[in-house]
Amino acid sequence: MANIDERNVLKNIFSYFLLILLAVVILVPFFIGIWTSFLPTADILKGNYFSTNISLTNYIDAFTNTPILRYLGNTIVVATITMFAHLLFCSMSAYAFVFLDFKYKKFFFALFMITMMLPSEAAIIPNFQTVKALGLLDHYSAMIVPSLTSAFGTFMLRQSFMQTPKELKEAADIEGLNHFQIFWKVVLPYNRISLITLGAYSFLGAWNSYLWPILVTFSNNSRVIQNGLKQLQSEETFNNWGMIQASAAIIVIPTILVLFIGQHYFKSGLNEGAVK
Amino acid sequence: MSKYKKLVLPLILVLAVAVVAVFGKTLSTKSAAVKDNRTEVVFWHEMGGPAEKSLMKIVDGFNKSQTKYRVVPKYQGSYDAAIQKILQTHGTGTSPAVFQAFDISAAQMMHSKFTVPVQDFIDKDGFDASKISPVARSFYSNDGKQQAMPFNTSQPVLYYNASLLEKYGITPPPVSPSYSDITRVAKQLYERSHHQVKGMTVQIYGWLLEQAMANAGVGLTNNNDGHTGIPTKATINNGASKEFFEWIRENQKAGDFMNYGSGAMAGTNQTTGFLNGKIGIYIQSSASISQLNKKNKNKLGITYFPHPDGKKANGVAIGGAALWISNDKSKAVQNGAFEFIKYSLKPEVQAQWQKDTGYLALNKDSQQTSILKGLYKQHPESKVPSQQLQEAVPNHFNSGILMEGMQKTRQIEQFAMESIYNGGDITNALKDADKKIDDNLTTTNRANGYH
Amino acid sequence: MLKTSATDVIPEKKVEAKQKSKFKLTANDKYYASIFAGPSLFLLGLFVFYPMFRTLYISLFLTNTFGNTTLFVGLENYVKLISSPDFVSSMWVTLVYVVGVTFFTIAMGLLLANLASQKLPGIAIFRTLYSVTMGVSVSVAAIFWLFIFNPSAGFFTLLTKMLNLPTINWLANPTNAMWAIIITTVWMHLGFVFLVFLGAIESVPTTLYEAADVEGVSKHYQFFHITLPMISPTLFFISTITIIGSFKSFGLIDLITKGGPTNATNMLVYRIYNDAFFGGNYAKSSAEAIILTVIIAFFTYLQFKFLEKKVNY
Repeated sequence: MANIDERNVLKNIFSYFLLILLAVVILVPFFIGIWTSFLPTADILKGNYFSTNISLTNYIDAFTNTPILRYLGNTIVVATITMFAHLLFCSMSAYAFVFLDFKYKKFFFALFMITMMLPSEAAIIPNFQTVKALGLLDHYSAMIVPSLTSAFGTFMLRQSFMQTPKELKEAADIEGLNHFQIFWKVVLPYNRISLITLGAYSFLGAWNSYLWPILVTFSNNSRVIQNGLKQLQSEETFNNWGMIQASAAIIVIPTILVLFIGQHYFKSGLNEGAVK
Repeated sequence: MSKYKKLVLPLILVLAVAVVAVFGKTLSTKSAAVKDNRTEVVFWHEMGGPAEKSLMKIVDGFNKSQTKYRVVPKYQGSYDAAIQKILQTHGTGTSPAVFQAFDISAAQMMHSKFTVPVQDFIDKDGFDASKISPVARSFYSNDGKQQAMPFNTSQPVLYYNASLLEKYGITPPPVSPSYSDITRVAKQLYERSHHQVKGMTVQIYGWLLEQAMANAGVGLTNNNDGHTGIPTKATINNGASKEFFEWIRENQKAGDFMNYGSGAMAGTNQTTGFLNGKIGIYIQSSASISQLNKKNKNKLGITYFPHPDGKKANGVAIGGAALWISNDKSKAVQNGAFEFIKYSLKPEVQAQWQKDTGYLALNKDSQQTSILKGLYKQHPESKVPSQQLQEAVPNHFNSGILMEGMQKTRQIEQFAMESIYNGGDITNALKDADKKIDDNLTTTNRANGYH
Repeated sequence: MLKTSATDVIPEKKVEAKQKSKFKLTANDKYYASIFAGPSLFLLGLFVFYPMFRTLYISLFLTNTFGNTTLFVGLENYVKLISSPDFVSSMWVTLVYVVGVTFFTIAMGLLLANLASQKLPGIAIFRTLYSVTMGVSVSVAAIFWLFIFNPSAGFFTLLTKMLNLPTINWLANPTNAMWAIIITTVWMHLGFVFLVFLGAIESVPTTLYEAADVEGVSKHYQFFHITLPMISPTLFFISTITIIGSFKSFGLIDLITKGGPTNATNMLVYRIYNDAFFGGNYAKSSAEAIILTVIIAFFTYLQFKFLEKKVNY
């Protein structure tokens, strides 16, 4: 017996060693990024990472000398609206495909599925022209309107809606609810986990979108954070590493805190969406 | 269910979409500007980082100086990205009244006919343009008319770490150095520092190859770099560019050459290496001077762009960008745009601009201002780029390349530079570049109906 | 909190069959359907289908300085692309990147998830740490890694100097630049993939492992013969989105390498953007966009098919 215990202890030590090693590998970019954000650029450039000149100067610079807060605000507005729009439109179309019967349903569903195969990156030229014709360039709506709905979201929610128990719907029928009521009072509450997953997915998607906003934003009034960070680097002059690291930290720290707090919730939500 | 009721919900949904659109629109314009009766002049620019700060000083100065117009600056990202934005938004509410477009887009802007020649305003206003550097002006004029007004003008110059040279007892390069002058310094630096300091680098940047050709007095395309007709053929595969690359290769073989690549941070990394004394010599726009002076603990040395051995330098072309006035805005707005251009060219404004950034003051009177006098006293080497600019006699080969598709051409040049830096055959790389540029030229000329 | 188990995955067809008997359909459905599905259909039509046809149309022309179609050339743009070594190399580069990213993301994700699924004290801390990159966006990842790859003051340079190894010029050499982009992409996606895998591994019934333990089967064997098959739906889901996502990669390339050096990281979407919005050649860009569409459609279709067949273990 003692032999087996010993082996277990050794195995656990090995496991911890591996766990710690991998954690270090994954976290190194963060440590370096966040640590250097407290150092003066001159020290960073010399490779003097162990400098003791720690200060918040870079953060103050980032907040006062760059429109980073405006970028953050813009991004939050665009991502939030996109998220709610996805929740609304995707759940509605998913409802239609699950609970309604209509002509060419298969055909329309196939259309949705085909959309998932068409990369939005391939549509940038005509979409730019459409948005321009609608007069939306350089406004939030240029980023929101083309992505008000999502075929993937519809597909995901359809898979989830299909597993709504029969009894619920029967009860609703007995109560004489119409489709709007069933949608709002039965289907949506029952599938809230999937909705939250889609919401998180859509929010992150909008938060991370990079190519389209470059094309349709022309000023700091509408520029989003992903593109904004690029502005801090400049064309013919060189830049201030300390401040750039600080602005990256400003963006990443809140998101990571939110993730830490909601981690467990996210995990089950994500997995739900993944396999259903 | 009545017919009327059937329509309600779809209508609501459409309305919801519209509301989102409008909401997004108003929300993003709201904090745009303080409302007053001034005419707004939207100004697109591509000055990021520190240069943006000093540009904002100019804009603020203009807005405070009068009560009729208000310039609203909007940053557009890189020079490269701005061109298509300008062309694609023309005629919409988003488009600028005055915009900054870089040197190599001059042909495109002229052909687009989206702008009003600055000459029209000069004539009407009686503005004395002769005060403005003729070399810079000639770059942006066509048919004897000033098309755009040069604004931020730079010169490519060679920077060296004077402290390091002193430390290792190396004679600095002469005022207008030849390739072998630079090779000597670079090799000595590398050897005498026991390989601790790399001698030199030349960034993978098409602009530098173009300047090497300009300085050797050869063109990049036929029709004299487009000054005597629409270019139809590229001529990069020439003796001058071969000599340029053989110079680089010689230093690569000696081990004193550092390749910083062509990534998004190549320029920054190069500057970083220079500031930290890891590299002795590099070539860059004069627009880096003020930054180099600000953060440099070493003594900064500046000299002219190098030229081929045994030849006299032809002089390099200017770099940077000019201000153009769009023709899709009202006369009042256009006049405001010109007022701003005039303001930006005032002797003191230009002097401060040079001091802040390193772009050259274009107004001759700027040299008499206390701002520049003070600067030269403190940093005598800051004078070098202006001298280089003055010494150049304008001809077809150092007045820029008037060709559409220069952005693509630069990428092709960079591709050639990369493959040479990574050990590829020089002639093959240049031939390949010519072929690619020719292909693009043929397509562009066909699509636009140029013959 | 809802927990998913592998048995929750009901093959689509069965569900559909169940569904039919589940709910009665009413005559008003057509009206409701237009309300429920109409808006999405309209939006997808305007911003997905129409642009596809428009892109196809543009790709058959030459476009002038303003981006207007001027000269009908048929398939000339495509022929030129396919016969250009530049474009072919871009396609290869994209493929290498996609394969690299997909392989390393899945391998690392599985490794981390498997390690973190052990019942050890304090394991929750590691789970949190491993998922941390989920909160990282493109621009932040690019900034962090650009600094690490920095040849003069970067972390890798300092590290190699400390260990007296030759310094690697990460972004100047074509092969290294590709690795740099792959590493950054994998790192960025790892948090998300890890979480999804962890959830899937945790939902594998423990009785299976207990039975295996009783029979004295090695952990290694258990991973390949119990865990992997049991999480295969998740595996396929992740591989689908990773392959498709990396085919569409743009942000990191724009922020880190700009497609260089020698086009070594000039991937398809970067080309589409570059040719149109830098080069002003909208026709060429459109032809490339159509090629991208064909590729993405093919992989999506393949994955759908695969998913349908293989997942029903």
